[in-house]
Amino acid sequence: MQQQQAPPKKKKKIKVPKVINGVETMVEVEVDDEGGPVWGPNGKHAILNHRLTRVDAPLKVSGAAEYTYDKNPPGLLYGRVVRSPYAHARVIRIDTSAAQRIAGVKAIVGATNEDVVEGSNRAADVAEKKDNMDLGSAKAPQKKERIVRFAGEPVVAVAAITPEIADDAVRAIKIEYEVLPHVVRAEDAIKEGAPKVYPDGNLEPKEKRGDAAKVEASFKEADVIFEAEYRTPILHHSCLETHGNLVDYRGGDSATVYASTQGTFTIPGDAAKELGLKESAVTAVVEHMGGGFGSKFGIGIEGKFACQLSKQAKAPVKLMLTRKDEFLLAGNRSGSWQKFKAGVTRDGKVIALLATQYQLGGLGDGSQAGQPYIYTVPNFYRERISIHTNEDASRAMRAPGHPQASFGIESLMDELSYKVGIDPVEFRKKNLKDEVYHRQLDRGAREIGWERRNKTPGGGSNPLKRGMGCAIGTWGGGGGPQCKVEVGIARDGSVSVAVGTQDLGTGTRTYTRAIVAEELGLQINDVVEHIGNSKLGAANASGGSTTTASLAPAVKDAAVNARLSIAEKLSPLLGGAKPEEISFSQGRVAGGGKTLTWKQACAALPSAGITAHGEWKSNLQSRGVHGVCFAEVEVDVETGHTRAIKMVHVQDIGLPLNRLAIESQINGGMIQSLGMALFEGRVMDAALGLQLNPGFGDYKIPGSFEIPELVPLIDDEDKREAVIGVGEPSIIPAVGAVVNAVFNACGVRVRELPITPDKILMGLSDRRTV
Amino acid sequence: MKSFEWVSPTSLNDAVNLLKSAPAGDDADDVARAIAGGQDLLTTMKDYITRPTRVVNLKGIRGLDRIEGDARKGLRIGALVTLAQLEENTLVRSHFPGLAEAAHSIATPQIRNLGTVGGNLCQRPRCWYYRLEEVICLKKGGSKCYAAEGENKYNAILGGGPSYIVHPSDLAPMLVALGASVNVTGASGKRTIPLEKFFTLPSEGSIRRENVLQNDEIITEIQVPASSFAAHSTYLKFKERESMDFAISSVAAAVELSLAKVVKQSRIVLGGVAPIPWRATKAETYLTGKTLSADVLAETARVALDGAKPLAKNAYKVPLTQTLVRRALVKAGGMSA
Amino acid sequence: MADEQDKKPLKKKSNHDPGRRRFLKGVGIAGAGAALVDHLTLSTDAKTESATADTGAKPVTRNVNIILDVNGQKRTVSVEPRTTLLNALRNNLDKPLTGPKLVCDMGTCGACTVLMDGKPVYSCLVLAVDAVGKKLTTVEGLGTPESMNSVQAAFVEHDALMCGFCTPGFVTTISAYLKKNPNPTLEEVREACKGNFCRCGTYPRVFEAALAAAKKS
Repeated sequence: MQQQQAPPKKKKKIKVPKVINGVETMVEVEVDDEGGPVWGPNGKHAILNHRLTRVDAPLKVSGAAEYTYDKNPPGLLYGRVVRSPYAHARVIRIDTSAAQRIAGVKAIVGATNEDVVEGSNRAADVAEKKDNMDLGSAKAPQKKERIVRFAGEPVVAVAAITPEIADDAVRAIKIEYEVLPHVVRAEDAIKEGAPKVYPDGNLEPKEKRGDAAKVEASFKEADVIFEAEYRTPILHHSCLETHGNLVDYRGGDSATVYASTQGTFTIPGDAAKELGLKESAVTAVVEHMGGGFGSKFGIGIEGKFACQLSKQAKAPVKLMLTRKDEFLLAGNRSGSWQKFKAGVTRDGKVIALLATQYQLGGLGDGSQAGQPYIYTVPNFYRERISIHTNEDASRAMRAPGHPQASFGIESLMDELSYKVGIDPVEFRKKNLKDEVYHRQLDRGAREIGWERRNKTPGGGSNPLKRGMGCAIGTWGGGGGPQCKVEVGIARDGSVSVAVGTQDLGTGTRTYTRAIVAEELGLQINDVVEHIGNSKLGAANASGGSTTTASLAPAVKDAAVNARLSIAEKLSPLLGGAKPEEISFSQGRVAGGGKTLTWKQACAALPSAGITAHGEWKSNLQSRGVHGVCFAEVEVDVETGHTRAIKMVHVQDIGLPLNRLAIESQINGGMIQSLGMALFEGRVMDAALGLQLNPGFGDYKIPGSFEIPELVPLIDDEDKREAVIGVGEPSIIPAVGAVVNAVFNACGVRVRELPITPDKILMGLSDRRTV
Repeated sequence: MKSFEWVSPTSLNDAVNLLKSAPAGDDADDVARAIAGGQDLLTTMKDYITRPTRVVNLKGIRGLDRIEGDARKGLRIGALVTLAQLEENTLVRSHFPGLAEAAHSIATPQIRNLGTVGGNLCQRPRCWYYRLEEVICLKKGGSKCYAAEGENKYNAILGGGPSYIVHPSDLAPMLVALGASVNVTGASGKRTIPLEKFFTLPSEGSIRRENVLQNDEIITEIQVPASSFAAHSTYLKFKERESMDFAISSVAAAVELSLAKVVKQSRIVLGGVAPIPWRATKAETYLTGKTLSADVLAETARVALDGAKPLAKNAYKVPLTQTLVRRALVKAGGMSA
Repeated sequence: MADEQDKKPLKKKSNHDPGRRRFLKGVGIAGAGAALVDHLTLSTDAKTESATADTGAKPVTRNVNIILDVNGQKRTVSVEPRTTLLNALRNNLDKPLTGPKLVCDMGTCGACTVLMDGKPVYSCLVLAVDAVGKKLTTVEGLGTPESMNSVQAAFVEHDALMCGFCTPGFVTTISAYLKKNPNPTLEEVREACKGNFCRCGTYPRVFEAALAAAKKS
């Protein structure tokens, strides 16, 4: 029997980013091919595209916002991990007897082979694949071996009634290791006979692209051929709230996990697996979280331990990593080592480029955008290769692989521009197809006062030398169809919007409210948002700057549906006006020549009020952004000290939902990038295989005196009526801009970050001797 | 932190006895520790570098928290005077400006609110290897100074060996320059030690310590004599990270000039470059009788770093410190750069 | 002068020493020395130790009940001698506080800043037993979401926070500083909060907020 069916909705296939552990890959999805809601012109919003203060700010400034670290249920136990002090070793024996005797110690896990917990995320995956191979002796092991592959790898975890007692337990546990050879430096790892990090060696080819023979041939056409190497160290996310979870499982068939995570919905599945529960039986809660920057997806090794401890003790266990743990085992931004050979013509065209790009991700793959990055070079050949070392696996960190790639190519471009004697901005334009960069370069140059630039690097007799530099970056930042949003309107006029997403400090809560408020013609505080709970509507994890482009369209869709739904109910009161013709603005609902206040309108609703749902609409978002940064610095050539004076970042972003928050985020990107340029870097001791600076005293993130005048500029020439994420783009180009400014100031080209005083001083003395 | 006994005596005698009578710990260093501000001690305890069996609070002892004296008699600074008190003291600021500058250069406002003068002189090294719980280096009873051949960009260029730590105190170089001495009370009585003799090189004193203080001894007071150069003193500290850092290199300088701007006498003490505050005596001698011309300053700076033996990664400290010597003398001599 | 203590042989070499690895023929033992079975029993019995941790010359070896004066309230709390003020406030108080954050636990980041007799200090570098008798103020004592002080209000207004984890520390530090110097320059604001670190990069707006709050008060 044939039923009459509505004509099928027209569908189309589009590619959207999917983020796994913070790393973007593109996947194809089918979406409605219909008009649907639109944002309207960027300049005509009542609330959006204005400067909105954060709705959660009053809670945060008064200490009332409860983060995972602040949760403190009765009977709470404190978890700690026991780390390997060796970079590569086989666990022989674990003796927990002394720890067990300590009063107040309630659970110890990971001590026997039965409850082996694998290494941190990436290490665990790789280890699983490769673990069958024997690393130490000729014979294959009979039972599953416990091999630690980096210093800091957690082996055992404990839970006790106070953190102080947990510390005692950590030190009472004795672990006997058979120490195996290790390697922690890339240049050592590629030497013949180097200790093998993985059975099949330390080099892992990732990509080959281009035609090497053509490149070689076109070098003959070049007027200048230049070779250089650039390096960046491993960096740390340095989230102020360390990684961790509070797992509350007291037996029974359900559990709650408070997590410091970038993905509310990455938690229940991971936790359920450890607890032996159904995924739906685990509720993840992420009300506020203290920074992730790409490092917080899934429950991680620390979360697995927390689950096991809670299960064993039948009590809530909070296992937040210590700061030292955080440096040693919570991931990092991969280092880079890029070797270039470039050919350029006298008129400033880069015509040939060979690039060997090593990704230094420890046990992980690391990441690096392929060269020549944003530039158009007619003939290029690149190889990207991971070099493995006995260090914690890299994770995604704010624009994975991009700051490294941008620093490399922007340093190279800068050097080439000086070689052929062309202004660095003009030189870049000659090699950039995309006109958006041209317009942004011009704006940035105007803002920093590029014409004041030092014409002779290192010139003049004053030891304080100023210089300027610029650099460029790109990012995707589009969304995908994961979010399910619910908007509720009650008869008393209250409005709520609910979705399980998380706010990392990016302003998700604020724009979620704002979108709904604007759609219903209300003020931002007339709406309450409920987020950060896996029992609410689905949402994507916050990685790859995909949150806004995934979430905001679904919120908009839900808000539009709510508006149409209430309009339909009000139509009889408004002279039978068509729902889509009823206007909602300034707290009033008008149509058919009549006007109601919001309260009056809602009073007319059925007792259950209205509930509307929204899903992702691809036309409400876009992807692909451009950003340029200019920096001015002052270098004291007698001490080697570099001070940033001013930084300008120009960023396109489609429809800016909240200008205040976006500017803050751009500032933050510039500051983190400045840290990469001048201060930050993991320092390893090659012989011991240990990190030497695992704390905020010795791993130097920028503080109040390091902050220059910052000018975050939203590029409103971008007329796209679509939202795009902006978290990552702003961290990319500043590092190159600062590095190039340092050269312009003092004439020293530092090719290995960070630019610390020793490098400037030694660079100057080398120059003198040349 | 390993657990410990906490005790808060109200008299110096009790404090000394409590330090002396403490139960022994696992390691020679795990004895009783006196705590004042605790701003360094607690960090070493949290990292299990020191695991005292007993912590003796000195803050209950009266009379150790005052700054007394004047420009003519000199200063008497109680060991419990906080760094914030020192930097804000008008007497210090006007007559011993270098000392106020040195105090101000330390750490952060929060630390200066609790950290004391006595504690600052007794703080432990910042060497990466020393501060890692995992490494038992020479200074912790091990057999090797890992910095000697490891990552040593912040380590000693002068006076190093067999350990290559640098002394982290900012007050120490300045107080040595001002000719200060410390009053110490211990189980065997009181003594006064010129600060220059208080600090010990690893090759001279105990490799486990940076000074001559015994376990049962407490610094009670720092005496800064009046001098003809104290009013012309300055402290220049170079940090990698301006907001918060220990000195990569620092210079405490003081000069007395004649009316004709000839140097009558001077003090030049280097910080952050040696295991002790490093007095550049030869440079001081060279400078006597000369005017602070560019050439003289350059030569003074060169002489001050005479004998420097940089390790693999810290040769930059030589030109850096020479710069600071020149600039400090210019400032102390009241010249414009 | 030689130190007699140093001549004593090391009691045991159970401490992990990577440097000794080679002598151990590839076998290392990690872990700390003797286990601490004594001294650690957490007791809720108020009589366990006398509440005189601040003055007595008798060593306190185990849990002790102390009275902390927090945000104008006298609160009894049971701590070990090694419990930091930060942990006491966050973990041991009857109704724990959430404002002061544990971030570096080493006195370098400022997120745990509280006022002790009006002065900003790192509560992670103060022992709870050493805070007895001091007037303690945390960010909660400066204002509430409903009734913010001028610094808190300026932070909201100027978007001086992102993830917000450093924020209570900055607010506390700056609130105290503005009492001391009601009309600061930008450089003075930088100096006042050089002991507070932010990773999201809110500094420029923290400075703006501090200067704006100064103008208003």
